[in-house]
Amino acid sequence: MKFLCVLCDQAMKLVEMAPPDRGALSIVYECPECAHRVAMLTNPLETQVVTSLGVQIGPGQGDISKCPFSGMVQEMTGGAAATPAGEKPAVVWTAAAIERLQRIPDFVRPMARTGIEKYAQDKGLSEIDEAVLDTAKDFFGM
Amino acid sequence: MKTYHDIAGDGGSDVIGQVVAKKSKIAESLAGVRHLVAIGSGKGGVGKSTLTMQLAEAFRARDKQVAILDADLNGPTQARLGGLRSAPVMPGPRGLVPPKTTSGIGVVSMGGLFPESEAVDFASVSSGDSYVWRATREFSAFGDLLAGVGWGTLDYLLVDLPPGAERTFQYAEYLGEAAALVMITIPSDVSRGVVSRSIAALRKTPNRMLGYIENMSGYYCDGCDAVRPLFSAPATIALDVPRLGAVPFDPELAAACDRGVPLGDRNRPAVAAVGAIAEEISRLLEV
Repeated sequence: MKFLCVLCDQAMKLVEMAPPDRGALSIVYECPECAHRVAMLTNPLETQVVTSLGVQIGPGQGDISKCPFSGMVQEMTGGAAATPAGEKPAVVWTAAAIERLQRIPDFVRPMARTGIEKYAQDKGLSEIDEAVLDTAKDFFGM
Repeated sequence: MKTYHDIAGDGGSDVIGQVVAKKSKIAESLAGVRHLVAIGSGKGGVGKSTLTMQLAEAFRARDKQVAILDADLNGPTQARLGGLRSAPVMPGPRGLVPPKTTSGIGVVSMGGLFPESEAVDFASVSSGDSYVWRATREFSAFGDLLAGVGWGTLDYLLVDLPPGAERTFQYAEYLGEAAALVMITIPSDVSRGVVSRSIAALRKTPNRMLGYIENMSGYYCDGCDAVRPLFSAPATIALDVPRLGAVPFDPELAAACDRGVPLGDRNRPAVAAVGAIAEEISRLLEV
């Protein structure tokens, strides 16, 4: 979908996206020539149709979840991936380990994170790096 | 006034660019896969998943590197068939590490992620009307699996397709011409009619059709060590693609599938038949 400023005959640019509100998106476009703004407001079904492509809408902030199974994943992990505010996480992940985690599909990340953190805690480890991931992989016979 | 095609990009989200980028990630992830084979039918309950696992076993028995991707996201069975319902989820250097069966077959299946008591429930911000978006969401998740798994170097990646003639066609289109197709039927006109329709639809895709396997082609009786007819009359609907072979129903194989273990005795007719079919598929793919 594209937006055209008819007066200027110019393609409008996405400038702002409000956080999703009950499944509805508000995306603001602006004409680079006359600065006229319009907002595209989607209903939840329209939002759902576009996000079903597994794409990110807007410039990155306020995006709705790309995970297709967020409800099931939450149930499986009990939301264990999140550490309550103010509490120090039991184990920390190095940047390289997080990068590896981000290479797997969104919907399996929380399960992988939960399983590996449990493995690390069982082994008395406080940090998860790539070596720990490799050791865990061997430990589980994979 | 400018039209749609006069304007480059989409103003900010670059939806098409993101879709194209995912296709590139899929191609990169599958770069080490020598042969991609999709196993479908159109008809449900004809043994697609069972034969997919048995073909994988046959390839493994011939020292081939093989993995299975269970594309049936809603009714996944490969984790059970492979005895991998509680396998850990592990990120490797190149993506998700596929858990392996005792025979060494990598298996990626939704059945290994969520318990069988749970319906596969796609998150939605809209209530109802899932028929509008669900197929798109499923293909997106399927693409995530193709792109997000470290498949490594494989001789064969077998994709176990879901039932439904339209789904078979859609998956063939999604996988593209790199995927060769094998169809499964049973010897009844009800099944062959649906498979015939699927084959007709698949002619519109660029995929190579290797042929069909007739499953449940009689049943193997342990007591009399013979294959006996399962259907009272032969099917009359012809399928206009090569017949790769026929596999009898074997109650021992069915029991092994439920337990998630391979049927060790390669001399049993069903195992021997699948072995011969695996060799024929190898031969065809090398041509």
